[in-house]
Order: sequence, then structure tokens, then C-alpha cells
Amino acid sequence: MQVTSLFLMIVGLGLLAFFLSFQRSARYNGPTRLRSLPHHYASLTAVWTVFPALLLMIVWSIIEPSYLQQKIEASLTTEIADQSSDAIGLYLNRVHLAIASGTVDADPVVQSLVVAYEKAALQSRYLNTAMVLVLCLGGITLGLSKILFKVHARVGIERLLKAFLILCSGVAIVTTIGIVLSVLFESIRFFNAVSVFDFMFGTSWSPQTSIRSDQVGSSGSFGAVPLFLGTLLISLIAMVIAVPVGLMTAIYLSEYATGKFRTIAKPTLEVLAGIPTVVYGFFAALTIAPFIRNVGESIGLSVASESALAAGIVMGVMIIPFVSSLSDDVIRAVPQSMRDGSLALGATRSETIKKVIIPAALPGIVGSVLLAASRAIGETMIVVMAAGLAANLTVNPLEAVTTVTVQIVTLLTGDQEFDSPKTLAAFALGLMLFVTTLLLNVIALHVVRRYREQYE
Amino acid sequence: MQQRNKKTASPSLSLGNFASTIGENLLNDAKISTRDVNVSYGDKQAIYDASLDIGRNQVIALIGPSGCGKSTFLRCLNRMNDTIGICKVSGKLMLDGEDIYAKKMDPVLLRARVGMVFQKPNPFPKSIYDNVAYGPRIHGLARSNAEVDEIVITSLEKAGLFEEVKDRLNAPGTSLSGGQQQRLCIARTIAVSPEVILMDEPASALDPIATAIIEELIDELRQNYTIVIVTHSMQQAARVSQRTAYFHMGRIVEVGDTNRIFTNPRHEMTENYITGKFG
Repeated sequence: MQVTSLFLMIVGLGLLAFFLSFQRSARYNGPTRLRSLPHHYASLTAVWTVFPALLLMIVWSIIEPSYLQQKIEASLTTEIADQSSDAIGLYLNRVHLAIASGTVDADPVVQSLVVAYEKAALQSRYLNTAMVLVLCLGGITLGLSKILFKVHARVGIERLLKAFLILCSGVAIVTTIGIVLSVLFESIRFFNAVSVFDFMFGTSWSPQTSIRSDQVGSSGSFGAVPLFLGTLLISLIAMVIAVPVGLMTAIYLSEYATGKFRTIAKPTLEVLAGIPTVVYGFFAALTIAPFIRNVGESIGLSVASESALAAGIVMGVMIIPFVSSLSDDVIRAVPQSMRDGSLALGATRSETIKKVIIPAALPGIVGSVLLAASRAIGETMIVVMAAGLAANLTVNPLEAVTTVTVQIVTLLTGDQEFDSPKTLAAFALGLMLFVTTLLLNVIALHVVRRYREQYE
Repeated sequence: MQQRNKKTASPSLSLGNFASTIGENLLNDAKISTRDVNVSYGDKQAIYDASLDIGRNQVIALIGPSGCGKSTFLRCLNRMNDTIGICKVSGKLMLDGEDIYAKKMDPVLLRARVGMVFQKPNPFPKSIYDNVAYGPRIHGLARSNAEVDEIVITSLEKAGLFEEVKDRLNAPGTSLSGGQQQRLCIARTIAVSPEVILMDEPASALDPIATAIIEELIDELRQNYTIVIVTHSMQQAARVSQRTAYFHMGRIVEVGDTNRIFTNPRHEMTENYITGKFG
């Protein structure tokens, strides 16, 4: 049986087991009352039916290819089997090709191998189906036997649920660790070629490496300072726009706006966060950047057609909802009794907001700002399109700059060799960026946690 | 005037006739006087035709079962109900002859004159000092830091808290115990020199010892302030107040000297409530 139909069969048997077991425990009329409810027993029976079979199926589909490989190799005639491993590999490739394409290979050896392979595959499928069926039926039998009522099903189900939840959270953690490790190892390879000191404190970024040693410009320079400065500059411009606007919006929404207005305005604002960043990117490149250049030229400033300012402004608009939405939640979480206390002392609304609400909500607001900042630092698309690629070491917002993320993109776009420092530099940059945003997030989380304890 | 019983047309009520307030609800030279006050939240009327005078430098206790409108009535006296959009107040409420709900009455200044202490202590998440200094600062009551210091210290002294906190004025107000927090809130209220202090079940979240301290404090504060206290505890009303008003289902059923109310209630429902037959 195919994997899909086998899977459907397991699910079907599981449902059947659940149904039967439910009926049985609902009608149970023994000398003592059951310790758990019918649906607990039914769920447990279904788990007994489904889980071992499913596990077997997964294990089987993992080991099946190597099992078939062994079968084919065993059926090779001795004169072929005695040849070098390369030749055997060639045969096996032809066998796989013939099976995949469904054509008949001219070579009789290959033909016989194909036959052997298909026979083995069929056997394995029968074996698999039979074992799955036995496990399923075994589970049902166990679930419909007297043993079921000796088990404390409610506790069992709770334990299973807990295990399942641990498994799910484990997936995210393992993935994170995997990503960090892979970036870390590639970075270590990079730092073997380029010293950490040069990377962290070098002020020149020109990641050109030669393929042959006699080429010109063979020595690239990997000083990441201009990139981090560019990132900092653009993020700073974005924060200068997003924090005041977002905070004022949050104050209006939480303290002044009527409930009706708020229910419309807040989702509308959050749409800003939902616009794809590439759309913001061409908005920045085609509308804002030329506008800034024209204005700049009309007052006699030289403005690059791609400027940090354009990218920063548009990015700032993009992260307004991060600040406003989170701050709004935080401000609304300040207990009404604080407002009452202040108003009852004869404070006006704005005094109350300025002197009581904002200080009380400050840790949460800081958290939302840091979250927005880490978003700004990680943003790529807008900067690629509006701020340019030139790694200028400058703090002038009217010049073109580039950021860490943009350089990672340019380093890894197109065909790359994965042993040159040029490509590996992307991983080192990624690691630095990851550490930076991680630190920001840790600080944000810490601040937010402190806030939670405030009123307990 | 003393004995005027109000007669008003009212819908018939299942719990007997208490359309008119009996007892001594009106006074000469009242600090606050209210006439025919009706309060409603949207469609739901919370107070019907309440007329009550509040005497100078005395404590009046508002008692009655939950939901009878005593807290709502209290919050009308300094227009704290303004913050609730759907709340409508009609009738006359006068503070020293000034209409509390007049257009030219600034609720911000009113609340500086009529302070309020809440059921649950609600110190700001600031230092003890800043909690008390908050009111004087926003009202510009002090011209120098030394004056602020003086106001803070005298207010804490009046609230009977100074001795306990004098060494840690910079500690957060929330670090105090519940009873201390409530006294801090009273100190905060006193600091803006109000004429009237409204207290909404100020001791209901406190243990008996902290409650006793607060009650003692209320008795002392009576010298300088007019106090209106809402309480669920009849013993407390009997201990701290000079006059008592019994509320039931949005109406003031009976008003009188506290002694008289607790020894010789005239209305059957007042009697039932104070003897614990319901409520």
C-alpha cells in the first residue's frame, strides 16, 4: 500500500477505535465507577491504535531506501560485485534511472536489477502494511480489553498532551539552535581567512576576492564598520520618526479616542505593518528619494539619488504600528485606579497621562520601542532599493549608505563559491546581526517582564 | 427644614414604599447639599431623587447593600462620574452654594477641593515622597522645593504615616503594606488641602488592625475636613460617623444622627438592614 493510503487507513482505524471505545466506556456498568470520563478512555484507545503504527511507518520510510539498496547489491552477480565501487555506483544509478523513467534499459544486467528492486520494494510494502495493521489491531484489542479500565486514562491523556506540547516547543528550539550553529560554523571558517579584529574594526568594505592569484584586486577588505554605521544611521532615522508618531498615536488611541474610533483606527494602522516591504521599497526609491533630492537641490544641498534619509523615513513609517500598537496595549494595561487617583487629585487628563500613565507604562513602551528597533535593524528590502549599495563611512543622511542586511543579500545573490571569504563574510555579518537583535530582544523581554511585576 | 420629608412621585416598588426619605436628610449651613439628584448609566437608573445635606466638619456614612447607589452618589460629589461617558446626572448639587455641575465649574479645581480616597489603595508607581508631592506640584501650591518638603511632611504626619516612612521617603509607594498604602493615599489627598474628602470603602481591603488605624485617622481628620464615607461595615459607620444615610435600590431611605439610626431606626428597611436581616 502507498504511504498515503496507509496513513488514511491508520487514521480511519483510530477513529473507529475512538468510537468503539467511547461506546463501551459510556455503557460501562461495573461494580465501581470509572475514574475517568468516556472520552478519556476513547482518546487513549485511539492513541494506542494510531501512535505505534504511525511511529513504525515513519521509521520504515526512513530505513526503506537503504534496505532496498542492500537488496539490490545482494543480487548483483559476482563479476559485477567484484568491480570497483565506482562501477557499482554507476550500475545502481542506471537502475534508479530506469525505475524513475519507466523505460527499459538495454543492458540485461540492469534489467534484472530493476526486476529485483521492484520485487524487493513490493515485499517491503507488504511487510510494512502488515506490521502497521498488526499494531493498529493490537492497539484496538488492548483498548477494548479489560486492561483499559485499569489505566487511569485522564492522567494518561494529560501526560500525552504535555509530551506533545513539549515536542512542539522543542521543534522551534531545535530549529533555532540549528540555524545559530550553522551560521556560527560558517563564520568560524570566515574568521580563519579574515581576522576578527579586521572584521569588527576595519573601516573599509570591499568584498572582492580573486579567483586566481594573478588577478588584480585580489585582496578584498572586510571591515564591517561602514555597514554597521549605515545600519545604525538608517535605524536611527527610522526610530526618530516612528517613536514620537507611534507613541502619540498610542496615547490618543488609548486615552482619548472613543471605543468606536479605536476599533476602526487600530486595525487600519496595523495594515501599515502588513504592507510588503518591497512595496515600501519602491515607494522609497521612486517617490521619497527623488523628492528629497529635489528639495535638497532647491536649497543648495547635494543629495545622492539614493539616500539614507529616504530609506530611513519610509522605514520609520513602516514601523509606526509596532510602536503604536504595542504601546497602546501597554498604556491600556495601566490600571484605571491610577487614572482615578490622579484625576481625583485635580490633575487634568494630560497631566495624568504625562506624570502617571506614561511613567507607569514606560518599561512596556521601552519594550515596544526596542522591538521596533530590532525590526528596523533587520529590514532589508527598503534599504536595497532606496539607500544604495555603496559602503560609505558617513553619518550624513543625504549620502548613500548600505547596511548589513543589504550586503548579505548582495554577497549571496547569484552563483557563489562557498569557500571564498567573500561568501563566508555573509555568515559573519549574519552572526553579528543576529547577536545584535538578540541582545535587543533580550533587553526588551527583560524590560517587559519587569513591567508585568509592577502592579502585583 | 430639619424634619422635611420629601414627597416625590415614583413608580411603585416591590420592596415596600420608600419613595420619600425619612429622617433628617436636610441641614442648615450644609457644606454640600444635593436636591433631587437622579443618576443613570445609559438606560439604567442608579439613583432616584436623592436629596441629602452633608454637614461641615463631620463624618457622614453612606450605608446600604451592594449596588444601592452609594458609590455612584459619592462619585457625583466630585464629578468623578464625568470619566464614564454614559453617566448622566441631573438635579442640584451645591458645594458651599456653588453649583457643582454648572458649566463654569471646572472639574479639575472641584476635585482639588473635594478629594477622594478609593476602595483599593492606589498609590502611583512612584516614591512615597513623589506620591504626596504629586498634587501640590500640579497645582503649583509650593514655590520652592523646601515648601514641597514641608507639605509632604505635614501631609504624612496628618495621615499618621510619617513616623513609619520618614527614613525611606524615596522607597516606592507600592512597597508599603496595604494599610500604609491607604494612609499614603489619604496623605496624597490631604496634600492638596481639600475641603471635603470622599472615601469609598477605604478600609474594605485592609485587615482589622489597619482598619482601626484608618478609623482613628478619620476621626482626627474631622477637625479640618468634611468627610463622606461609604462603608459596608455597620460597625465602622457607627464608630466613625456622626450622621448616617441608608441607601436602598438607588434611593436614600433614611438619614439621621448615627446614634439615632442605629438605636432607633424609623424605617422598617433600615432596621432590617442594620439588624442584619438582609443586605
